[in-house]
Amino acid sequence: MTRSQRVAAANFDSTFREALSLWQEEVVQLGLIDPVTTEVVRLRCAEHHDCYT
Amino acid sequence: MESSINEFFRNVLGDRTPVADQLENIHGLAWAVVDPELLDLCRLRVAMLLGCRSELEILNSDLSSEKVASLSQWSSSSLFNECEMSCLRFTEEFIVDVSSIPDSSAFAVRDRLGDEGFVNFVNALLVVEQRIRLQIVWGKLSQEVSA
Repeated sequence: MTRSQRVAAANFDSTFREALSLWQEEVVQLGLIDPVTTEVVRLRCAEHHDCYT
Repeated sequence: MESSINEFFRNVLGDRTPVADQLENIHGLAWAVVDPELLDLCRLRVAMLLGCRSELEILNSDLSSEKVASLSQWSSSSLFNECEMSCLRFTEEFIVDVSSIPDSSAFAVRDRLGDEGFVNFVNALLVVEQRIRLQIVWGKLSQEVSA
């Protein structure tokens, strides 16, 4: 499937974006899952969300 | 009722309070950056599609009961405006296969909400979706543990 760029790169609502980053940081710092499993899940999620960053 | 959902997350997360704090923070911000009635429509549609009863039992806005009752037939109902229909279409595609949302659906939302509104809507939808999926999975795990 091909897609166009949907929005121009811009710093939209930095408060919300920063809050999302903080949430993700807290989640990945949880130490109950081993690093390999965590990485496998992260990569699978990135693929599912079409995220190449 | 919304507070009981926050309580549910705090109970599951236990002493991992920073995670619970951040989850509550992003949830609150999601409702601050998107029109609450619009996000509530989409939240309810996500809850319907994923089968999350606890989310279907609450309203986070002044959404009319008529609209709520017609939500599963939004595409053929005259109660929903173009913006709501565009967002509901996007929401359904987001839930079913997030990486295959066509340009037409994305641009329909962007054209109605603007670039920043579109970005905020997608981020808010992500928060709402994750929160609902967590409720479903953790709810089931809690049932199994207590059985």
